[in-house]
Amino acid sequence: MPEEVKAHITGVVFQVLAKPGDTVGAGDAILVLESMKMEIPVEAPRAGTVSAIKAKEGETVQEGDTVALLE
Amino acid sequence: MGMKELVEDLRARRRKALEMGGAEALAKQHAEGKLSVRERLDLLFDGGSFTEIGVLATHANISPIMRGRETPADGVVTGFGKINGRLASVIAYDFTVMAGSMGRTGEVKCNRARELALSKRIPMIWLIDSAGARIQEAIGSTFAQSGFLFREESIMSGVVPMVVAMMGPGAAGTAYIPALADFVPMVKGTSHMALGGPPLVKAVVGEDITPEELGGSKIHCEISGVADLEVADDKACIQVIKDYLSYFPQSNLERPPLVASEDPEDRMDEELLTLVPDSPRRAYDMKKVIHHIVDGGRFFELKPGWAKNLIVGLARMGGQSVGILANQPMVLGGALDINSADKAARFIMLCDAFNIPLLFLQDVPGFLVGSKVEKEGIIRHGAKMLYAVSEATVPKVTVVVRKAYGAGYFVMCGKAYEPDLIVAWPTAEISVMGPEGGTNIIFRKEIAAAPSPDEERARRVEEFRKLINPYVAAGGAFIDDIIDPRETRPVVIRALEMAQTKKIERPWKKHGVMPV
Repeated sequence: MPEEVKAHITGVVFQVLAKPGDTVGAGDAILVLESMKMEIPVEAPRAGTVSAIKAKEGETVQEGDTVALLE
Repeated sequence: MGMKELVEDLRARRRKALEMGGAEALAKQHAEGKLSVRERLDLLFDGGSFTEIGVLATHANISPIMRGRETPADGVVTGFGKINGRLASVIAYDFTVMAGSMGRTGEVKCNRARELALSKRIPMIWLIDSAGARIQEAIGSTFAQSGFLFREESIMSGVVPMVVAMMGPGAAGTAYIPALADFVPMVKGTSHMALGGPPLVKAVVGEDITPEELGGSKIHCEISGVADLEVADDKACIQVIKDYLSYFPQSNLERPPLVASEDPEDRMDEELLTLVPDSPRRAYDMKKVIHHIVDGGRFFELKPGWAKNLIVGLARMGGQSVGILANQPMVLGGALDINSADKAARFIMLCDAFNIPLLFLQDVPGFLVGSKVEKEGIIRHGAKMLYAVSEATVPKVTVVVRKAYGAGYFVMCGKAYEPDLIVAWPTAEISVMGPEGGTNIIFRKEIAAAPSPDEERARRVEEFRKLINPYVAAGGAFIDDIIDPRETRPVVIRALEMAQTKKIERPWKKHGVMPV
């Protein structure tokens, strides 16, 4: 069962840092949102392999939206 | 009996009471990883300083169910002793005696301990390890005479420091005691609190849940925000109570004690030049800034696992206790939301009640906006912070480290909120809103009418950005100075020293109407 990585703030996707297949550690940034005049990283809640990225650079995501899947 | 026999009888009675709930119950207490109530008190108080009150008390014998039962000290140890040389009153429930339930006699003792703390103006400490009300004694409408403890605790609030350590269960009655206290540490794994414990929850709403999931330390330290600190075990719990109280005066009539430090007051810190990234949009760890400016790098953080976008805690600067509020750019970019506003307002009230000066470290892009936070009531929650910072009459010092936007600047003790000194680092950005947002609103028509709207917007944004330069604020004397970040510690210490004699009169009122 893949874990859904969710945005914890509404914002625009500024940078996607990981791609499907990448191995990440807990706390690694998967992508960066731009919100409230700040670059706010969305971090992996645990170590794993990124199986999908659900957001594109420049796209607006809402708080609670799934932006990536982690195996 | 002659005197000798009488004394022997007295000693035997005392010995019996000190055995608590007996060897078997004590072994079970230890097997769960908990210390006995008397072991806890030995750790809490300076050697030989504890005087017990009510050791010979036993249950009130008001119910047929209780007939023939023994309840040493009636399940709660009360008294007074010294912590690092300073007196405190204690109420410590004994789980080995009828699960630490609150009996009629036990509550008479607790009443006495509370009254002792209030009338002598010394801190009140509760160690909770209790199943709650002793139903065997309380069932039926005699309940009508109970509940006074919460009224008394409310009246004591802000007069003497109140600490409630959760060192076992606390259900119903024993869950409102921490709710009304100032500081609530919780022992990981063994403590939990809930208005209704799992059996009641099952009976009333049909939910199957473990005590840990319902009200364990993780729930209250990371999600509900009811507790302040998760600690590993009983020993660590007692230690944090002592550490916490060391920052406080005995009551609101006194100043916090001075604790000399070997850390020089005029220490300049080179590291402070490297902590804030060159890009104003990048996050950094504000806790490092705190560690580099306080005495010996020691910071006693409260609620570290909850509302992490705002850091609050106690430290000393030049030996003087100081309450620090700092935005944390690492979480939500440092933007304020409902829980961080709650956390801040409560902490400001705590420090103001006990004459502890406040230091604000600002890096706040503003309050979160959008439909979600409006539905949560961000307006009234944000107003709590305005209210608390306005009411506070203790010395206040503000350092604008970087962002100071909109109402975020106000609630973090901007110029209008009576800081005794307000200074900025050269990285400061002070403005009602950011250049992008501001430009879009003010120059909407001009941008739309321009031959190349994107270029026009970029040009306007750059012009706007020049205005949020802190030298504009310093030039108008709206802030007191712009400082070299390395000087932060000496500047703050000198300001705290200057503000020691601060006296502000407020108009008389019974109390305000706080936006809760």
